[in-house]
Amino acid sequence: MKHIMDIRELEITAELAQIAFTPAELERLGREVTQMVSYFEKMKEVDTDGLEPTTHAFVKANRVRPDTVTPSTLADAALERAPELEDRFIVIPNVL
Amino acid sequence: MAKLEDSWRRFSEKSASYTAYAKAWEAKIGAFLSFNPQYKPTSTSSAPSGDSPVAGLPFGVKDNIAVVEFPLTCGSKMLEGLTSPYTATAVQKLIDAGARPVGKTNLDEFGMGSSTDNSALGKTNNPWDVTRVAGGSSGGSAACVAAGQVPFALGSDTGGSVRQPASFCGVYGLKPTYGTVSRFGLTAYASSLEVIGVLAKSVGLTRAVYDIIKGEDGNDQTSLKSEPGPARPVRKIGVLKNLTGLAPGVETIYRESLATLKKLGYTVVEVELPTLEYAVSAYYTIATAEASANLARFNGIRYGLRPEYAENPEDLIRKARTAGFGDEVKTRILLGSYVLRSGFQDQYYTKAQKVRTAIRRDFDRIFEEADVFLSPTFPTTAFAHGDTTMTSFQQKLADKFTVTANLTGQPGLSFPAGLADGLPVGLQVLAPVFEEGRLFEVADRFAEAVPPADCPGTSLDWSL
Amino acid sequence: MYDTFVGLEIHIHLLTKSKVFCSCKAHYGDEPNTNVCPVCLGYPGVLPVLNEEAIKLAYVVAQSLNCRLSPRTLFERKNYFYPDLPKNYQISQFSDPVGENGFIDVPLAEGVTKRIRIHDVHLEEDAGKMIHAGDMSLCDYNRTGYPLLEIVTEPDLSGGEEAEKFLQYFQRLVRYLHVSDGNMEEGSLRCDANISINKTGGGLGTKVEVKNLNSSRFVRKALEFEFKRQSAQFEAGTRIVQETRLWNENRDVTESMRSKESSHDYRYFPEPDLPPFVPSADFLRLVDSLQVELPLARRERLKTTWGLSAEQADFVSESKTLADYFETTAKASGQGASVANWLMGDVQKELKHFDLTLEASPLSSARLAQLVTLLESGRIHIKIAKQLLIAVFEENKDPETLVKEKGWEAITTESQLQPILEKVFTEHSGVVEAIRAGDQRQKGFLVGQVMQATGGRAAPALVNQLLAKALG
Ligand SMILES: [Mg+2]
Ligand SMILES: [Zn+2]
Repeated sequence: MKHIMDIRELEITAELAQIAFTPAELERLGREVTQMVSYFEKMKEVDTDGLEPTTHAFVKANRVRPDTVTPSTLADAALERAPELEDRFIVIPNVL
Repeated sequence: MAKLEDSWRRFSEKSASYTAYAKAWEAKIGAFLSFNPQYKPTSTSSAPSGDSPVAGLPFGVKDNIAVVEFPLTCGSKMLEGLTSPYTATAVQKLIDAGARPVGKTNLDEFGMGSSTDNSALGKTNNPWDVTRVAGGSSGGSAACVAAGQVPFALGSDTGGSVRQPASFCGVYGLKPTYGTVSRFGLTAYASSLEVIGVLAKSVGLTRAVYDIIKGEDGNDQTSLKSEPGPARPVRKIGVLKNLTGLAPGVETIYRESLATLKKLGYTVVEVELPTLEYAVSAYYTIATAEASANLARFNGIRYGLRPEYAENPEDLIRKARTAGFGDEVKTRILLGSYVLRSGFQDQYYTKAQKVRTAIRRDFDRIFEEADVFLSPTFPTTAFAHGDTTMTSFQQKLADKFTVTANLTGQPGLSFPAGLADGLPVGLQVLAPVFEEGRLFEVADRFAEAVPPADCPGTSLDWSL
Repeated sequence: MYDTFVGLEIHIHLLTKSKVFCSCKAHYGDEPNTNVCPVCLGYPGVLPVLNEEAIKLAYVVAQSLNCRLSPRTLFERKNYFYPDLPKNYQISQFSDPVGENGFIDVPLAEGVTKRIRIHDVHLEEDAGKMIHAGDMSLCDYNRTGYPLLEIVTEPDLSGGEEAEKFLQYFQRLVRYLHVSDGNMEEGSLRCDANISINKTGGGLGTKVEVKNLNSSRFVRKALEFEFKRQSAQFEAGTRIVQETRLWNENRDVTESMRSKESSHDYRYFPEPDLPPFVPSADFLRLVDSLQVELPLARRERLKTTWGLSAEQADFVSESKTLADYFETTAKASGQGASVANWLMGDVQKELKHFDLTLEASPLSSARLAQLVTLLESGRIHIKIAKQLLIAVFEENKDPETLVKEKGWEAITTESQLQPILEKVFTEHSGVVEAIRAGDQRQKGFLVGQVMQATGGRAAPALVNQLLAKALG
């Protein structure tokens, strides 16, 4: 078992997750990620040939709702919670 | 039981003394992130609620479940200061039945942890010993019930997050059948595994609350109507043939409890669960994968933490997430993003889902041999804050008894079985889907023989 | 010397009242952030709930494109961060979309069609909109959660021109099916293209994706530009880079987007919040009942059934509403070509003049049928018919009623016309004599006089016939 997985793999994963890490943090958290991933390898021992993956606990298929409009009474409440507004737009910076 | 609820119902008349009592405990245990006994909920139902078993009762709500006007922080800096614009279905049903939410309880950030020490917004102590943790992630909900601040509380159980703190705090903790309680309003951690659960002081109240909050919900298309089979008494209790790795105190209570159950007339049968040692792997693979997507919405744009300065949207998103999430959350997001990556997905995520199927088959077989399945809830009693004998990795491995029910969707109940060195030990009983009735039956009979101990210093007489 | 392979990814807004996973209004052009709720804003704790109309329309399109319909459609999460995507994953479909392996026959020229294969049809949610304003961006989430149907073709199109024709035809098709308004200006039909070129016979080359194509014309221009750019690279021996490029409509060029490759792992996995959709027999019957004759088939049938010319058939089959109107009118009057001519000519002219659409005008198909019948049976003649059409628009009455009220019925019997003829002869006896003396050129003058005396109502053939009889 590697002490820590390839740091490049961790960096790519962090990029996908949109979280920035200092090298020290990545080393520290990467250690536990590595430990867990290595532990997951144990699953190879289970014979799962012919087993379907369980993607949902158990659900009834075909759950739908009718195509009716409910006026959005919470639109203003939601906007009040936005960190920055310009009229009714939510503003984010985009420094050129 | 009736006495307990009645004394709680007087709460409204004696609110000043109740508040003093709850606040005194709060100073010791820090169960709540927000507490407002004056909160006046709005009912959506016009039906009188006077005859409901929860009418007039105050309750706590884990702070990852939405209650309008209350904060919804999930124990994270990311959402500090956010109040919910809406109310979860389960909470609304309790309000409609006449109960009153009085506060939001502490938790491990976004439900990720087994101690509540991973909360970024508060520290919760175990009422039995304040140097120890309350368990997690529904630690605040377990602690406030154990301390008598509320008669019951809602928690959420993704991998044991209701049952494990219930065990640590000496209360009942129900993880219902997946889908029987709407998840609408529960901040998602691992959607296919989790369910809103109940922590309460008695079996009767646990059952009463469950009966109120369950039901199919138009806002949650994975919710289901509970359809139990014909009622019949529990006779056979399945237990693991080779059970190792328990702390000595837990081991003792477990053995004594099996003897008690036999005395009560149950047949104890030994069963095998060969997939148990893979359950933690499958659980953490699926849970972190789902979490990596579920927690992607927290980006500082529409609500929540907004960094002081950002160059552009990507910079803003990254800064918000980097500053807003704690280490445990970041670790799990990294792990979950990794197991979903192309090139790794088949090996980890898809494999875990197949292992999940294998575990379900194991349990299907077990429930042909036994009516319920019994094990300790957790291998240890509550550990001390900052205890380093169990690393974060080892704590995860210790979830092995609880995670199976989340992988199978089956219901589980942790009930107080006794004290080891003055600390509560919980046992967990599992049943086939929709058969919560069997869990209540076993726990009820056990309580007749071994009544659950009250936490020292708790009282229901507010005039004291 | 080069083969070009073009595939399209088309997104259409489905015509539903509410969004696909919440009950907010799906409506274009409202004030920013008014049609939003905790669900479409991705608040903590909310869950998607599938709109039954959206999944129905998705199956309608998939069936019309001859796809294999999924017996168990699965929703999946497509993970990527973008400020207009509140949850930072899009609920979409990947491993088991609504439809797969379809095709569509597209008319390219008279008598020439091409079969374009459809890779898949999948249902997903739209993202919001961002307006870039100086050093900030403004987010509007009204569009977030519109039901979006993505149709992915195989790389069967040979270039910009075919792609443009395909897109125009596809637009007609979705309007025929009444599943989308197909409006590219409002973004209810959007298109990305991918193109690869290679030496003839060399198979697919390196794929380049082109985005920001807001009209079918831009699709053609962008693909033509790409062909030139890529073939020049071929000539120069430069490697073509697999990338995404944006069409710059101001400069008529495509420009590289330069995005980080690592952010393109979408990590699809099944959406745990939505159960799979398993269409029942009833549902499939309903979907089947919503199928319509597609534009190309309709055009061909109109030609054979009603004897329309290519031009007439093109015009009449442009929209389903017009084709339906035409066929109802043609059936009621028994006149195909005449109805088509009216629709293409005078009816268009009057609609323009009165600034009306056909549906909103007083000219119902029953009224047009009446008018055509009056004309073809000779009860009115062409000049009166044109007057009558205007009268229908002005007075909003049936042609039969107007003809009676105004006494416009043609004079078709000898007994009616004879006295008028005699009166004209008396008034113009000099002309009559000149004709009798052999000056046939003067005949036209007399016809004109008779027509004037009858207010244009005399049947010209009868007038000629009686004149010939009287004057030899
Ligand atoms: Mg798409
Ligand atoms: Zn909405």
